[in-house]
Amino acid sequence: MSRSFRALLSTSLKAYYRNRSAMFFSLLVPLIIMVIFGLLNLGGNHTSENIGVVDLAHNPSSQLIIDNLKKESVLQVDFGSQAAETNALKKGDRALVVVLPAELGAIQTCAPRAVGCHPGPKPVSIPIYTNKAKPQDAQIATAIVTQFFAQSSFVALGQPGGVFKPVVQVLPGQNTTYTDFLVPGIIALSIMQTGIFSVAFAFVQQKQTGVLRRLMATPMKVSEFLAAQVTTRLIMAAVQVAILLFVGVVFFGFHLAGNVVELMLACIFGSAIFIAIGFGISGYAKDEQAVPAIANILVLPMMFLSGIFFTRDSMPAWLHTVSDYLPLTYVVDAIRSVAVNGSHLWNLGTDVIGIAVWLVITVAIAIRLFRWEVV
Amino acid sequence: MTATFPQTGVRGPSPQGLAIKVEDLRKSYGSLVAVDGISFNVRENEIFGILGPNGAGKTTTVEILEGLRDADEGHVTVAGVDVRRYPKRVKGLIGVQLQSSAFFDNLTLLELTDMFAAIYGRRINARELLGKVDLHDKEHSKVRQLSGGQKQRFSIATALVNDPRVLFLDEPTTGLDPQARRNLWELAQALRQEGRTVLLTTHYMEEAETLCDRVAIMDGGKIITLDTPANLVQRLLDKGFRGRRVEREANLEDVFIDLTGKDLRED
Repeated sequence: MSRSFRALLSTSLKAYYRNRSAMFFSLLVPLIIMVIFGLLNLGGNHTSENIGVVDLAHNPSSQLIIDNLKKESVLQVDFGSQAAETNALKKGDRALVVVLPAELGAIQTCAPRAVGCHPGPKPVSIPIYTNKAKPQDAQIATAIVTQFFAQSSFVALGQPGGVFKPVVQVLPGQNTTYTDFLVPGIIALSIMQTGIFSVAFAFVQQKQTGVLRRLMATPMKVSEFLAAQVTTRLIMAAVQVAILLFVGVVFFGFHLAGNVVELMLACIFGSAIFIAIGFGISGYAKDEQAVPAIANILVLPMMFLSGIFFTRDSMPAWLHTVSDYLPLTYVVDAIRSVAVNGSHLWNLGTDVIGIAVWLVITVAIAIRLFRWEVV
Repeated sequence: MTATFPQTGVRGPSPQGLAIKVEDLRKSYGSLVAVDGISFNVRENEIFGILGPNGAGKTTTVEILEGLRDADEGHVTVAGVDVRRYPKRVKGLIGVQLQSSAFFDNLTLLELTDMFAAIYGRRINARELLGKVDLHDKEHSKVRQLSGGQKQRFSIATALVNDPRVLFLDEPTTGLDPQARRNLWELAQALRQEGRTVLLTTHYMEEAETLCDRVAIMDGGKIITLDTPANLVQRLLDKGFRGRRVEREANLEDVFIDLTGKDLRED
């Protein structure tokens, strides 16, 4: 690091640190948003247990069981293939998963005088899977479901026990709560806001007042100056991420599953995209009044379409497809995969490629639009 | 201000040498011809003024000399370096005060001065330099807390961090009160005393008359005359010109300074 770069970086950091409104928007606002949405706890206040049913029998008996399960007001029943439901269970979306085996409803005939054999419905094991990471939900749901099968056995056989034998198996998994969804979302949102706004406002102002022009009258290396400015914002992004993670884990019970270094890397590369967008805006905007208008045209759609506060599952298919390609979608998906699912960056093909492609595009646009002076 | 300046290492005047050499300089913006084939020299250790109405091409000329803008045609040598070929090298040798001087917010004068020195790869005593432009009691202030005159003096301080041989001052006294203007004149003269060459642009004829050894008057992108202020006035008088009123021994500005004093009003 040359002395001039160090000087430019330290002055840039000092100027940023002393800028009260920049600090407010980059550190306090994300926390406020997180607290508000965290307290709302959307999707978190459940009064029923979510269970998954895998129907392998597809016969009147299994249909009868399903109909009766649906009548249980405390259960929210989903259906799916064994793979899909197990996956949902491991992600923390189900309190348990019940498998109705193919032999359900078979009738047993006994050989004469066979010991322990009763003619009638053949006893079957009912596999029940629970998530190790959600012991409380698992316990409640298991109690309800075992009770249900005990009653069903009684109805089917006229005596308790016997026909349906629930076999509980605990699977390793995660407990994904709304907080787990929200915290990575807020992290991605904040690095976008800070990247775009802190660069766009500062550079439009410096372009207008002639700060940049004064620097161009020195033998300063342009690359060093820009590197110092970008590094300042990347450091701010890292500080933001650290604070949001800390508050998320300590105060909101965020389940941080992934590698923090990889998480930071995803955040820093994501932040670079938004910093480049900020440079582009600062070149395009004629004055400071134009910045919020231009920036919000880009920021607001991403904020609501990239799955920051809510999943994109309920979107119409075409909108879902469009939102797949937004830079913030790639960034938030990468952050979520690393932080919540514990994935490694090198396993996140699409998201990493999406971030890389957007970085190239936005840097190219920034180079084209950036101006040192008002023309 | 007192003219006790620390030793600066600027070499003494060499009357034969040229600090700035401009030959047939041209610059157009689209169809607008801003500078239309001008040539002039600035001698070493001279205070040289470029005068002219707005839009005459003064600022464009100065910006080309400073390496901030390239010309379309012509040769420009500043401090012995071909500006059009080595703009960055020239920038390292000269000091520049721009018309609108702005600096990063939220940094103190001391921090900004140190930053500028680092850009030039210099190690300087920033306190001493700020003291030199009478800002020793403002070293921990921010630029926005300064008065107009203080801002201009600080701007000159940042132009001095590399101990430049040639100093460019673009309208340094525009908008200043008479006290602050006089104070800046003294600073410019003191800088010349140190052996530096000063090129300045101004709208104030009194300023040019007081400070400049020679002035060039520009209009429509051309230099229409170039001489010492005294010669220019004499030539006009020789043509038979007589002023609207007979010049008295004093004018209104002298009255103003007599009544309000020379002390700076900035705090």
